[in-house]
Amino acid sequence: MRQKAEYEDRILVMGIGNYLMGDEGVGVHLAQCLSALNLPPNVDVLDGGTSGFHLLEYFEEYPQVILVDATLDNNPPGTIRLIKPKFADDFPQAMSTHDIGLKDMIGALHLLDRAPEIHLLVVSIASLQQQGTGLTEEIEAIMPLLFEKVTEMIGGITERTLEWATP
Amino acid sequence: MSTRIVVDPVTRIEGHLRIEADIENGKIKDAFSSGTMVRLLEEILRGRDPRDAWAYVGRVCGVCTSVHSLTSVRCVEDALDIVVPPNAEIVRNIMFCAQYMHDHVVHFYHLHAMDWVDVVNALKADPKKTSELAQSISNWPKSSPGYFSDLQKRVTKFVESGQLGIFSNGYWGHPAYKLPAEVNLIGLAHYLEALEWQKEIVKVHTIFGGKNPHPNYLVGGMACAISTDDVSGLNAERLAYVEQLLQQGKQFIEQVYIPDLMAIASFYKDWGAIGGGLGNYMVYGDLPWNGYRDTSSYKFPSGVILDKDISKVYDVDLRKDDEIQEFIDHSWYEYKGAANGGLHPWKGESKIRYTGPKPPFENLDTTQKYSYLKTPRWKGHAVEVGPLSRMLVGYARGREEFKEVVDKALKDLNVPVTALFSTLGRTAARGLESILVTRWGLDFYHQLIENIKNGDTRMADSTKRDPEKWPGKALGVGHSEAPRGALAHWINIEDEKIANYQLVVPTTWNASPRDGKGQVSAYEAALRDTPVADPKKPVEILRTVHSFDPCLACAVHLYDEEGKHINRISVLGD
Repeated sequence: MRQKAEYEDRILVMGIGNYLMGDEGVGVHLAQCLSALNLPPNVDVLDGGTSGFHLLEYFEEYPQVILVDATLDNNPPGTIRLIKPKFADDFPQAMSTHDIGLKDMIGALHLLDRAPEIHLLVVSIASLQQQGTGLTEEIEAIMPLLFEKVTEMIGGITERTLEWATP
Repeated sequence: MSTRIVVDPVTRIEGHLRIEADIENGKIKDAFSSGTMVRLLEEILRGRDPRDAWAYVGRVCGVCTSVHSLTSVRCVEDALDIVVPPNAEIVRNIMFCAQYMHDHVVHFYHLHAMDWVDVVNALKADPKKTSELAQSISNWPKSSPGYFSDLQKRVTKFVESGQLGIFSNGYWGHPAYKLPAEVNLIGLAHYLEALEWQKEIVKVHTIFGGKNPHPNYLVGGMACAISTDDVSGLNAERLAYVEQLLQQGKQFIEQVYIPDLMAIASFYKDWGAIGGGLGNYMVYGDLPWNGYRDTSSYKFPSGVILDKDISKVYDVDLRKDDEIQEFIDHSWYEYKGAANGGLHPWKGESKIRYTGPKPPFENLDTTQKYSYLKTPRWKGHAVEVGPLSRMLVGYARGREEFKEVVDKALKDLNVPVTALFSTLGRTAARGLESILVTRWGLDFYHQLIENIKNGDTRMADSTKRDPEKWPGKALGVGHSEAPRGALAHWINIEDEKIANYQLVVPTTWNASPRDGKGQVSAYEAALRDTPVADPKKPVEILRTVHSFDPCLACAVHLYDEEGKHINRISVLGD
């Protein structure tokens, strides 16, 4: 986690999920892949793992948060959707195995009037029954696309041209 | 005839827990606790390098991530006969104390308080009276009439804007809520303040563990080099910051959490006679003052109490084949050998065999297997683990610090000592041990500073880092007192790899199904005889279950294939 306090248009890309549960960890896989790159100076990346309340300081610190997580929503596996949740109640019901702390925290951030702009990228997965640190072929196959979406979003937010290599 | 009600999932917990309860004459006659998810960490760890296990187990959930990592490095160090330097032990202890402070406060305000505090009713409170009340119970500065009135306005605006947030999923207005509106408003105010505070205390983990969430641990010590003048190491500035965070935590716990806990408890003294349950309590012990191997130096002493008899404390041995065993009579697993016997975790197996109904289903056949949790037993006894067990064992062992806080709380609330064996006692014990932990955290901090001043900057023993120095086969066990209770990991190392790894976690002790002899575990025992005024709004079940601070993430894993995570309470036919 690199801190670059000097930028006002700071963006945090936060991948969350359980790394031990296959596709459920897609957000963490993305964060790990982004961390290895040379990102624009106003962008930080965080592997949020399975945390809920622990993540509050990051939500308060950045005006823009791109949150990447898995969801179980009956869409074909690998479907990527962008949701702009206004309130905690707008989050998908079955987002992941750790939604309790996260949703409560976002609700409270609104109550405190300190919620950042959240761009939620959800990746549909087929099952939460998988064990292990690997991704299924279907999810592995959409990783470049997910990467592209995130970089586009960063570009859109900062209105800058990004010069990154694809993974 | 009894009516069976189902609460699935139990909300405001980590993980997925289902409770089925038979209600007769307004009381629970029998209850069944089922973990409907499964998480096979054991399988993920097999074949990996034992030195990496802490990183995997730390990922199991976001709540007590660091205690799993701690327990894991302890079990590997036990197997390889490594003694960590005193500073590493102290740093682990300080992180442990910060974890407790965080976890207990978050549990009280964000997961449990709303079983007692009616947040909707808080909007009716008189800010001036609220201020007077707040100032009469604590010196906490945020207590002016204007502060409470601003908060009410903000919350009203929030609700009117169509957001529900914490106001959804509640049984607001239920007759079981007994607090005056002013106490409810204080509870709501501190819900928000606790949220802001908790993000500070976790920085202790960032400083020592290098990152948060999921801080770093190391087999042989800790990965934070002491360097009093280096900007990147554990320097004087960072150490001073740790002290500041521990002081702030102590202040918040003493001036906010404890006064609130006592104020709320004073309106719910009847819960001092409800939810007692087993009466058997077990503690492995933790927070070594003189090294992990010197169990007599533990701030939390170990031991077992049976039948609420605090005049006798039994010793626990995690290595003995016939002390801790896991049974699967009512669990969706199968063992290779004896179908119904218990297995010590060094011989433990984790092969799943689901034989329950195909979802969606109305209720489980609780005469058969009905949970993904195994049933652990100590010498055949069902035991409760957690804060209440720790406070009782400390008290029964005659530790003055424990006696001081327990006796003071009993006196302040004017309740008998038997009130400890209850839902209220469990919730109070969590607060009381927080007082002790805040003191100990600072004691450990001062010890660390003293060691550094004396020139001891050792933080790791790396003499056994090289696997060539390991025995071909080794067994290890590591234990800790996770915020939710006794936690242990057992490891078998063969040819430098993990051959078997078993975790027996606190919620498994408490939430497991009954055993082959029909003996119930802690949740099921505590729910018996609990009154339920309205079976459609069983807030009383939530009070008792939440008093244990359930966390099933490491015990179990998501099962619902449809992803329908709506809070479902169904009342089934007579």
